[in-house]
Amino acid sequence: MQLIRAIIRPNKTNEVITELLAAGFPAITKMEVYGRGKQKGIIVGNIQYDEIPKEMLMIVCDDENKEDIVKIIIRTARTGAGNFGDGKIFVSPVSEAYTVSNGKPEL
Amino acid sequence: MKEIIAIIRPNRINATKRILMDNHFPAFTCRSCLGRGRKNADTELVAALMEAGKLPQDVIGEHFTEATRLIAKRLFTLVTSDDLAEKAVRLIIEANQTGNPGDGKIFVCPIAESYRVRDGEAADEIF
Repeated sequence: MQLIRAIIRPNKTNEVITELLAAGFPAITKMEVYGRGKQKGIIVGNIQYDEIPKEMLMIVCDDENKEDIVKIIIRTARTGAGNFGDGKIFVSPVSEAYTVSNGKPEL
Repeated sequence: MKEIIAIIRPNRINATKRILMDNHFPAFTCRSCLGRGRKNADTELVAALMEAGKLPQDVIGEHFTEATRLIAKRLFTLVTSDDLAEKAVRLIIEANQTGNPGDGKIFVCPIAESYRVRDGEAADEIF
């Protein structure tokens, strides 16, 4: 299993979640985060804004679905070629997953 | 080391804290998040319950949006050694299980290294 963490623009989350649902991946966790990227935030005059609001989506999926989900997020969350600040996606391994309601070790 | 990520009901957080504390897992991190599982939330049912006054409108309404239908949850994270991970998972399931869908999920991920900020030393043992 893989844990996909996508940090994307807040105004794109609804679209991404809707697209994922349409593609058959309903399970998702969303939280608000603040951060900056390679561009050191946004610099306006002398002021540097480096805590830019973003939203983080967490999805745990089977290995074979990983690429589909990543592709859907990239396609939907992109605002146009070469725009900074569209976000990042990180994929990390998950060794076990449990469902609390029945205690079974499966997704 | 293992990181245990549990996404659980907000009202079970006290029970989870208590059972983990009683079994010598004092350290954890917790934050609020919104989420959805395999099942969609029933917005009509929630709206009906809110109108009947059985659910507080302000809290639920704030976190329950029609467009994406996400439900307020708590993301509970703790890091343990490899051999204790199974026990921690069992305790979290015990504290959160109601048998209904929506009880949450628990994920166990490997952690490569951990450090204590206070003295900068690599901390094999978290506590």
